[in-house]
Amino acid sequence: QSLTKPRKKEHCKPIFSVDIHPDGTKFATGGQGEDSGKVMIWNMAPVLREEDEKNENIPKMLCQMDNHLACVNCVRWSNNGLYLASGGDDKLVMVWKRAAFIGPSTVFGSSSKLANVEQWRCVTILRNHTGDVMDVAWSPHDVWLASCSVDNTIVIWNARKFPEMVTCLRGHTGLVKGLTWDPVGKYIASQADDHSLKVWRTVDWQMDANITKPFSECGGTTHVLRLSWSPDGQYLVSAHAMNNSGPTAQIVERDGWKTNMDFVGHRKAVTVVKFNPKIFKKKQKNGSSPKPGCPYCCCAVGSKDRSLSVWLTSLKRPLVVIHDLFDKSIMDISWIIWTLTGLGMLVCSMDGTVAYLDFSLDELGDPLSEEEKNSIHQNIYGKSLAITSTEAQLSTTIIENPEMLKYQQERQNSAQTNIGPGCAGPESSAPKLNSVMNGESLEDIRKNLLKKQVETRTADGRRRITPLCIAQLDTGDFSPALFNSAPILPSGSSMSNQLTSQLSSDSSPGQASSLGLRPSHDPMLTSPPASSIAKGLEDNKDGYKLRASFYPCLLLTSASKIEPMKALDSRFTERSKATPGVTAAISSTAGLTPLDRPKDGISALKDIKSKEDTSSDSEDKMATINKNLSFSKRKPELLMDGGEVVEKRKKGRPRKEKMAAPIDMTVSYIPVGRCVCVKVSMEPSVFLEVENEVSVVAGSKLSQLRCSRDGRDWNTLLPSSVVTAAGSSDVLAVACQDRMLSVFSSCGRRLLPAIQLATPVSAVHCSSHFVMVLTAGATLSVWSVGAILPKNLLFVPLGADSTVSQSLLTQQGVPVIGLSNGKSYCFSSSLETWTLIADKGDSLVQCADFRSCLSTHDAPASSGPLAVMQGRNLNAGRLASRLSSTPHHLQQSMTLAFLENQLASALTLQSAQEYRYWLLIYARFLVNEGSEYRLRELCKELLGPVHKSASTAWEPTTLGLRKRELLREVLPVIVENLRFQRLFTEYQDQLELLRNK
Amino acid sequence: MAKVQVLNVAVLDNPSPFGNPFQFEITFECMEDLPEDLEWKIIYVGSAESEEYDQVLDSVLVGPVPAGRHMFVFQADAPNTGLIPESDAVGVTVVLITCTYRGQEFIRIGYYVNNEYTDPELRENPPLKPDYTQLQRNILASNPRVTRFHINWEGSADKMEDSENVDPSPNISSMLPPSCIPGKMPPLGLMPDNSMDCM
Repeated sequence: QSLTKPRKKEHCKPIFSVDIHPDGTKFATGGQGEDSGKVMIWNMAPVLREEDEKNENIPKMLCQMDNHLACVNCVRWSNNGLYLASGGDDKLVMVWKRAAFIGPSTVFGSSSKLANVEQWRCVTILRNHTGDVMDVAWSPHDVWLASCSVDNTIVIWNARKFPEMVTCLRGHTGLVKGLTWDPVGKYIASQADDHSLKVWRTVDWQMDANITKPFSECGGTTHVLRLSWSPDGQYLVSAHAMNNSGPTAQIVERDGWKTNMDFVGHRKAVTVVKFNPKIFKKKQKNGSSPKPGCPYCCCAVGSKDRSLSVWLTSLKRPLVVIHDLFDKSIMDISWIIWTLTGLGMLVCSMDGTVAYLDFSLDELGDPLSEEEKNSIHQNIYGKSLAITSTEAQLSTTIIENPEMLKYQQERQNSAQTNIGPGCAGPESSAPKLNSVMNGESLEDIRKNLLKKQVETRTADGRRRITPLCIAQLDTGDFSPALFNSAPILPSGSSMSNQLTSQLSSDSSPGQASSLGLRPSHDPMLTSPPASSIAKGLEDNKDGYKLRASFYPCLLLTSASKIEPMKALDSRFTERSKATPGVTAAISSTAGLTPLDRPKDGISALKDIKSKEDTSSDSEDKMATINKNLSFSKRKPELLMDGGEVVEKRKKGRPRKEKMAAPIDMTVSYIPVGRCVCVKVSMEPSVFLEVENEVSVVAGSKLSQLRCSRDGRDWNTLLPSSVVTAAGSSDVLAVACQDRMLSVFSSCGRRLLPAIQLATPVSAVHCSSHFVMVLTAGATLSVWSVGAILPKNLLFVPLGADSTVSQSLLTQQGVPVIGLSNGKSYCFSSSLETWTLIADKGDSLVQCADFRSCLSTHDAPASSGPLAVMQGRNLNAGRLASRLSSTPHHLQQSMTLAFLENQLASALTLQSAQEYRYWLLIYARFLVNEGSEYRLRELCKELLGPVHKSASTAWEPTTLGLRKRELLREVLPVIVENLRFQRLFTEYQDQLELLRNK
Repeated sequence: MAKVQVLNVAVLDNPSPFGNPFQFEITFECMEDLPEDLEWKIIYVGSAESEEYDQVLDSVLVGPVPAGRHMFVFQADAPNTGLIPESDAVGVTVVLITCTYRGQEFIRIGYYVNNEYTDPELRENPPLKPDYTQLQRNILASNPRVTRFHINWEGSADKMEDSENVDPSPNISSMLPPSCIPGKMPPLGLMPDNSMDCM
């Protein structure tokens, strides 16, 4: 039985392209939508199995994207399955990526309640073509993406750095309608309406061959000319060619680009040729002597004559020909490699349907494994395309858990994308998933949204609402519980189970996609087939085409009150004209004004920075003020600014990457009689200006402190010269020469009575509502202004001859100091002691080698206080390579100790982001090194008690991070070592259990 | 391609007395950081007969809008009853939520609103002069009508196809018939084609 169950899905409008995901779980179609191009992603399972098709709980359609403005001509999955590229008549190529699954969502306002059960997001739009894009193709290993267009060009895009363009291939003099990459990546071939097929070298992007002879007779036009390269690289098969005035698919041999053979038989032009990506060998029959047959390839040819033929390169005649499969021309073909019974193929047509054809391996032979295929490549081309990963070791271990398998596959997928140097890749540019909700449920947020949301007035009195960000753009992360990412397992049952549990009842795609049955045309058989084919087609006679209408008629929902509604209806769609009130013109300018300011702020900041850079970084802040004063006097020329000498300094607060994060700054060592202005906070923007000795009243010199916050100014006078000042978005602290510390609110209210310090102030820091003061007497104090909780006076753990070289205060009010001997301490309020967080001379840091554990997904945590104290270029592992002679177990222990130190330090510093960062590295290290006991203990600690009991002292959160969320992040890491699959399953199950509670 | 997708609009405080403020909880998603604010408006259609009774209940700027999913509640005061024709006070009308970016409207969400007396006595014999204190406003929240327009999201005018979507300036529009884009006008009860625009 070579062919079973042709089934059809309907787009209604023409379908121009179909492509099956490399993992075989879904497929994409592209075509004409209602008034736009349409890309749809479908679940493969209902196509493969009848029972799944009938099961209403299994979604047929997974996602539809109407973003193309005009007809979509081509959809192609990347080889790693992470991306989908689509090209259309709107001249655009869009690249899509799966986004985290938030829940089934309908298109808002769409009355068809057809839910998108997957989220695919356009991550990049490639603009260069000046005409319709006809075909797109990913190169082997997804290094490049090629697109061709009716503008006669082919554009090669850098798939690791979208939207960068590598080159534009010019040479065709007609519409370019098909592309195919050489499987070993040496060439790309294109076919165009100019009666030529051109082969281009990828080395220098020059034309290698221009084949015109077989196409000279070609008349008329076909919509597409999808040519294909055989998986062994030996043959290139063209679409529409002519031989003796008969339409053919021309076979072009790689060796000398000879054109001696062709596939003949179609009555009209060939539109599409598609090789099965596998290489086959003859099936070993039981009993027969095993003779090593020559490997061969399998190729499907679709034509305008609505028929499809399948050929083996080892046979002279087609394996099968199916006539009148469709009502209109065949547009695209895609192979699926693993089905339950063998191989399958999706074929789409202009008539708006997709047919599924199923082949048994008996007919096609046994597909070679990837290794065998690679060795063939190696034999022929001398280089292997084998992706060196853990596949070999993988194949020896049986994966017991479908979740596990899925993680493995995802990991491999991502590993493949990350191959090669400098693969910045779209995902690195795409923002990462970051739960912004802080564990608060969406329901809670919604309840208080109106009260909580920030509303301000713009300068012209308009309301401006800052929307609450409930999720950052999350193209990178995959929800772990996605049903159709589950591989098609032979059992099939586990998947169905998942499906039913996954699909919540509120959306019922099954209902919308009411399936109608329609008997198929009886396929006719004309070419001389093998007997088995005839049998297959007989079977086919009672097959059905399934037509699913995904555009159910929209009914008038509120049938009553027709008359007034008619009048009202136009109002829904008409654009607002000049409505009384505010006109749109104002809005754009009004929107601009508040945004201009932060930009100024940034430039101001840069200004400060550049000036700061001119002075040496490692200044001893414990040095006397005089020294600093003289220092600033030495270079007035440099800092001359409007006749005033300005010295601006920024203390060691880490600069956050985002504007939104408050940046707290310190002005220090203000020269007498000078005016200093500094921006102390970005959001809201706060400027602090200090002028000493503004006026002399009754012999005492007054200093003025001016503050500008969001355009509101206040100022105050101080009886003594200001020595140093600092501020955050909440508080401002000013230390005067008379050792008096004054603390003001951001509006200028004095928050604390003037505090007399014992020794001269050496540094002041503000961070949120904390104020920290470091004095020359090596004492450190932290005040929490909101709660007026005076923190104790701490004596800085100065060594014999070390001085404080750096000091900072974290957002959480943890004081941190760096000493000149390279050690950094922070004060742990829970332990009431100073704890060492960094030591530049620490041999552990030098020797720890955890580079292999650095996640490619996580941005290096360079912004946290820990990173700041340890130096941005943490030179961990720098010596590691030199120490390669060190016994492995020694290095392992050192790395382990180092990572545990980092975790502890991040914990004391209350730096949640860094804690998470190091935790994941730590987990990965444990996984790589196979330290099961520690790993188990870590998981246990993160999971906590499954059953509530009063005696446990387990806290569900660390630094505001939910431990179970952390565990959920750790689990995919565990999967990387199959040894731990039991551990994985155990904790995965428990997490599930807890979630369902 | 639209950079902002409205994912959901929840109608809060519905049904409610006529004088209560309108509250819509709007969830939207933005593909990339928007350099400018979005402007949202609530327009109350006072009378089906004429646009001159339209009232912009309020307009707010929403921003900054970084890439991601966001939500906010848009609250606007009830319409000024003085501007509503007495004959249209009771019955069905429409409230519109529109959003513009750089002065171009890219989405219009419409709801039917039914204003009726809760008191059966009044329902039977409505007073000649509408008694707004007794009216209840019921927004047909389950049936939003969404129209999406392609606009030029970038600052520079590089697409001529968008020009038709730009709001006509007030003085021109007063001379022209309502700016109806060909093909965007749906037959009654049908969704406009482009309303399926989705992410």
